[in-house]
Amino acid sequence: MKQIVRLRVNGDVYEIAVAPRQTLLDTLRKGLGLTGTKKGCDKGNCGACTVLIDGKPVNSCLTLAIEAQDKEILTIEGMADGEQLHPIQSAFIEYGAIQCGFCTPGMILSAKALLDENPHPADHEIRKALEGNLCRCTGYKQIVEAIVAVARQKAGAK
Amino acid sequence: MLLPEFTYLSPGTLPEACSLLAQYGNEAAVLAGGTDLLVKMKERQLTPHYLIGLKNIDNLDFIKLDDNKRISIGAMTTLNTIAVSPIIRRKLTFLALTADNMANQQIRNMGTIGGNLCNAAPSADTAPPLIASGANAVLTSPHKTRTIALEEFFTAPGQTVRKADEVLGEIQIPVPPALWGGVYFKLSQRSKADIAAVGVAAAVTLSAEGKCTGCRIVLGAVAPTPLRAKRAEQFLLDKVITNDLIAETSHLAAEDARPISDVRSSAEYRQEMVAVLTRRALAGALEEARQHKDTSK
Repeated sequence: MKQIVRLRVNGDVYEIAVAPRQTLLDTLRKGLGLTGTKKGCDKGNCGACTVLIDGKPVNSCLTLAIEAQDKEILTIEGMADGEQLHPIQSAFIEYGAIQCGFCTPGMILSAKALLDENPHPADHEIRKALEGNLCRCTGYKQIVEAIVAVARQKAGAK
Repeated sequence: MLLPEFTYLSPGTLPEACSLLAQYGNEAAVLAGGTDLLVKMKERQLTPHYLIGLKNIDNLDFIKLDDNKRISIGAMTTLNTIAVSPIIRRKLTFLALTADNMANQQIRNMGTIGGNLCNAAPSADTAPPLIASGANAVLTSPHKTRTIALEEFFTAPGQTVRKADEVLGEIQIPVPPALWGGVYFKLSQRSKADIAAVGVAAAVTLSAEGKCTGCRIVLGAVAPTPLRAKRAEQFLLDKVITNDLIAETSHLAAEDARPISDVRSSAEYRQEMVAVLTRRALAGALEEARQHKDTSK
């Protein structure tokens, strides 16, 4: 039996009919057409489905859409400001942190959550924050370098 | 993977949740963080017709220090909340460290302590440190509440003493005394991100003269349930702890382990690692106790 839920995604409010068994991941991708969030393992192991809920990274594949009602959800589509890329997105491009791109949305959101809480993370803190985001292409080095660069930029800007 | 179909119920209070459980019995499952239950449902290991979600119940997500004598943790408290809690970091440091080293950030933001315990995997990481701290579980049913020692909570892999109409509402832990130390070590395949293949928690209490007046050694992932190595604990009591005694104790602890061989590890390796981790955990706990940390502050 579907029910109407109110989802606040990237600052926009959507009302959509969902069945209880629909995950937030499927609702974002198929219900709202926001396909930036990726489906990898679909069971909480790979992190490709990572979104931020109230600022915290979670696996949207294990979140029921009906339980995400009225929370602030941030997906990769919400990172750029119009045509202006977020500094994390720019750094990922500049440092070669994107190969196939499949892990990238989840990585960027985990990185954002980390930097919002810890603006000058040590290397090991970055790697720990990314433990839930698997990448099969890059070997993680460029990803960590990109995040370090963003942290330095912010520090330098002060 | 589509989840199977179910009806989602969202009680506003704990008694209401218990009534729903009583009403639907085996057709219902409790949904806490979803990181275990939803995976099992996707794999069709479990197909409850009713999910009773606890997220809308107020005051199941809390960490309280009562009168400096008891710490209470609500069952819906997430692992990350425990990891960063000033109360847990100060009074039960090893529980904060354990929570902080489970799975990954995303799972820690969703997974709850109540869910970890009720899922009752033999390898549940929160169990050994909690049992080593003398924790109790508070179970609420429609008509009453009962408190049982956490070491008696687990009965078999995935099984606990929780009755069909009961909800685990909170965990209570006595504030450790001043000369006390606790450490939990685990081994798993991918640093700490994976489920434990072996886990050992050790907690020791010392007298002012340095004698061991209390000792708990709790083994995880090497038996059907988390297991206290009681002979090993008895062996250390009333003695001044030395490295030789620690070594002997760790062998006694390994003898209590009843591991199986599976994808994560062989029984032989697990058995041997119980001795290694017990040695390290006891040494660490002793070190912490000796630092005369006055946790009454």
